[in-house]
Amino acid sequence: MANLTRRLEPYLYLTPASLFLLLVFVYPIVQIVRTSLLVTNAEGGKTLGLGNYSLVAKDPVFWQAAANNGKLLFAVPIMTLLALFIALLLFERVRGWKIYRSVLFLPYIIAVPVVATTFVYLLGLNGILNTLLRLAGLGFLAKDWLGSAVWVIPSIGAVIVYREFGFGLVLFLARLMSLDKEILEAAEIDGANWWQTHWFVTLPQMSAVIEFFIVVELITMLSWVFAYVYTMTGGGPGFASTIMEFYIWKHAFAFRSPGIASALAVILLASTTLLIVLQLRLRRQPLEQV
Amino acid sequence: MSDTTRPTPLRLPGRPVELSTRRGGGWPLLLLKQVILLLFSLLAIYPIYYMVITAFKTQENWLHNQFGLPIPFTMQNINQALDQGRLLVWLRNSVVVTVSAIFLSTLVSTLAAYAIARMRFPGRGAYLNAMIILMVIPPAVIILPLFVLMVQIDLVNTQPGLILIYIGMLIPFSVYLLVSFFRGLPVELFDAAAIDGCSNFGILWRIVVPLSSPAFVTLIVVNALWVWNELLIALVFLQSEELKTLMPGLTLFRGHFQVNEPLIMAGTLIATLPMIILYLFGQRFFIEGLVAGAVK
Amino acid sequence: MRACFLRMFTVLAIASLFLTACATPAATTAPAVTQPPAAGATQPAASGGQPVELTFWYWAESDAPGADKWMAETVQAYQKVKPNVKVTVVAQSTDTLISAFQSAVTAGSGPDIASQWATGPVLGFVWQNALVPVSDYVPKSEMDNWLNLNENTYNGKVWGVPMYLIGIGVMYNKDLFQKAGVTPPSGDRWTWDEFMAACEKIKIAGITPFAVGDKDGYHGAWFFANVGIQGLDSTEDLRQAVIGKASFKDEKYTGWYKNLDEMVKKGYFNSDVMSLTLDQGERVFWDGKAAMAWGTDGMIKQAITTLGEDKVGLMRPPKLGSGKLADAGNATQSISFLITKWSKHPQEAADFLAFLHTPDRLSAWYKFTGVVAADKRFDTSAVTSPNLKKMLQWETTGPQVWLENYLPGQVDSDADLPAGQMIFSQSGSPTDAADLWNRTAESWRTQHPDELKNWEGWQQK
Repeated sequence: MANLTRRLEPYLYLTPASLFLLLVFVYPIVQIVRTSLLVTNAEGGKTLGLGNYSLVAKDPVFWQAAANNGKLLFAVPIMTLLALFIALLLFERVRGWKIYRSVLFLPYIIAVPVVATTFVYLLGLNGILNTLLRLAGLGFLAKDWLGSAVWVIPSIGAVIVYREFGFGLVLFLARLMSLDKEILEAAEIDGANWWQTHWFVTLPQMSAVIEFFIVVELITMLSWVFAYVYTMTGGGPGFASTIMEFYIWKHAFAFRSPGIASALAVILLASTTLLIVLQLRLRRQPLEQV
Repeated sequence: MSDTTRPTPLRLPGRPVELSTRRGGGWPLLLLKQVILLLFSLLAIYPIYYMVITAFKTQENWLHNQFGLPIPFTMQNINQALDQGRLLVWLRNSVVVTVSAIFLSTLVSTLAAYAIARMRFPGRGAYLNAMIILMVIPPAVIILPLFVLMVQIDLVNTQPGLILIYIGMLIPFSVYLLVSFFRGLPVELFDAAAIDGCSNFGILWRIVVPLSSPAFVTLIVVNALWVWNELLIALVFLQSEELKTLMPGLTLFRGHFQVNEPLIMAGTLIATLPMIILYLFGQRFFIEGLVAGAVK
Repeated sequence: MRACFLRMFTVLAIASLFLTACATPAATTAPAVTQPPAAGATQPAASGGQPVELTFWYWAESDAPGADKWMAETVQAYQKVKPNVKVTVVAQSTDTLISAFQSAVTAGSGPDIASQWATGPVLGFVWQNALVPVSDYVPKSEMDNWLNLNENTYNGKVWGVPMYLIGIGVMYNKDLFQKAGVTPPSGDRWTWDEFMAACEKIKIAGITPFAVGDKDGYHGAWFFANVGIQGLDSTEDLRQAVIGKASFKDEKYTGWYKNLDEMVKKGYFNSDVMSLTLDQGERVFWDGKAAMAWGTDGMIKQAITTLGEDKVGLMRPPKLGSGKLADAGNATQSISFLITKWSKHPQEAADFLAFLHTPDRLSAWYKFTGVVAADKRFDTSAVTSPNLKKMLQWETTGPQVWLENYLPGQVDSDADLPAGQMIFSQSGSPTDAADLWNRTAESWRTQHPDELKNWEGWQQK
């Protein structure tokens, strides 16, 4: 009898969490898969089939949204390199490094809608950025950053970098500070210069945290950028800044197309799951060993 | 347990930090570094600075001069934002939702993490793997079915409904973090307590929880930031103006007052002030708390 | 240490549970616009003593600034007439007007009275069986006074209550015209050639000819509704393209994009078109920085305030096409008030809506908003401004069609708006715009065969 209670005890601890997870994850995922396979017919009834997926495949806006998310992925190497660079600078005992760190981390604290709203004004055709460019005689560089189909995604990417950079910085700096100093000193004694030391010694030791950051940010670019687009452009001009989350939201709530929205959601889910599984494989760290 | 899964002990805030002993490499290089850092810092601060100076300008002033300081200085935007907008209501809603979600999710996750970290049972590994996968599921994927479900159980457009969803979304990461931390605690403590006749729950309550404050700090910081900033789910689930949290509320505010940019900036300033104040006073918690769990 | 921790923990626990309980659970308990009724006032004997609560999802402020205040006063006034009826007004935001109500419809619960844009959107909800006909609860004698009823009449029933009429004209700045040496049209409107010639003259004089803000896409849709309409003979033409019997690539549907494109290329719009939203674009005109702009009644009123009545002129959209609709007016009730199917008090809801049309309320409406009320009994002498008088006359003479109302929401949102943005941002050609229309209509048809069926059965005159 006591044995049974002891056997069941872990599950008891797991129950509250599991209930929430069932509600918030399991049920919705089952539902989107199910709904995505139901195609509306002319009478408003539903039949089972892959029709929704073929509609999605034929929809040029879907491909544009996917491409836009893809383009945003390029922001990740940029923010990673930037964060690394600044972290290394701060690491080398620059005066006031703590203040710099606090200031550079501040954007990460500010909520996305706030940052985004401010940047809408900064990036307007006659906003601060362009005014500055014109004053510096670089007027030809003054584009309609958020209003041009060509520049809108890079501009949104830049705003995302502005914010996410702080997270990387703090992460890398913390890792740097926990590194084994003796190895670095040894390299210095051996006559290695700045580049060599960092490239051969520091960075390899940081590979885990760099990889962690990259994966987190890649996933962010795919699935956590709704607030930026919604606040800054509403998906425009045209569809130039429509991204997957935004498109799902539109279909689910504005167009009354649960089938399409669900198919899109399944695709997004599959992509992010693929990414995380890939990352775990690459790490060659088995998903937790028992 | 293999070494790769044991985390390095978390650095408690306040311990002296070690920086590289390398010299900057001479004056010019040092100067260059300072300049670069200064530049980046100015870039980081500028948008916030812009928000502040615009909030205190009159509209005509802003239309003519986006750059300059707010002279003449006016409080009219702040006042109007507080009067006409429902910023304070939304602020309160955000606080309620955030505190409730954080508290309950932490509670629930602690129980689950303890079981995974310290008890043996079939499915343990699978459960943890599931947490890792669930951590990255985007809200956009689950909103529609959740919405329909909430509608069916009549919890749509209610704060408790939203809180339930947030709790669910916070659990995977919380469990993952806590499991890592719990596993790093010395086994001897548990053995000693068990010998003393302490039940599992007793161990959890009396030993594990008090020792885990660094992890809880991280958890609270990360999760609170997430919930506070969340837009999509709150936007979809809370339709009544009175119930909205701060982020969707700001969007509404912006829509109403499109042509009064200083007013909008005043609204965003009010909305963001609590976070900035918290940050100024609790920087250590934010910065070091954030990374403690992630740096392994 | 442990005790202290425990104490803190308990406090936090109680605090958050308390806070959760405090969180207002129901949507209908929070009044957004209503004021509490005057206490202690002697109430006239009211019919039906049972307390009734009505929730009204209300939208009008964007079209008619002042509408929210008017509604607050109206609800208070209604309390005196029907003290047992409590109306809770929840202001809706433009961006989520349709999706919020769609969510309610999916849920099968929500407000008693809703606001949706006339014709297309309203019908969409009629077909979803979400509404009850207003005509079932309001006597015909009352409804006969309402204007533009045809916008919501389907199957012999009226499904929405109009409140106001909004039309759009082209406002112009008389001073700037003079400066550029441009004479206003002798009649109501210019031909397109005259319009282009005027734009050129204005541009040469260093003034922005036409102010537009298309960041949110609506101004592009206004071009569709006012210029694009001119190639059609009737709304039936549009329906044919929507249901796939005609192609949007046809000249009469999208040929006008070439003219818009020409205007953009020749620099007749302000350069920051894509950085400004609709209101911000209008502001360019209100600040006297552009010679012309689109203007609803409310915007004309604003221009009169900033520029002065005698400096503001008004003309109808320049004539481009030769379809029958080129001569039609464009006034629409814009928003319609609907009674939901799940409402437990449809009669009370209808009574409240009819109350909005009592003479006192109608004149108060005009006082607050300056927008014409959609009622024959509206005292037009209240309109004193010559410009607004002109608008009123155009809005109440002859056939009126607001073309956007005759599109499915998806086509409007994913073709009409983006196509305009494509042209303004020069990220697509007029041919691309036409293609977009066609593709989007087809997407809509394949994704919603049930809706398509309804549209196919909806014969229009």
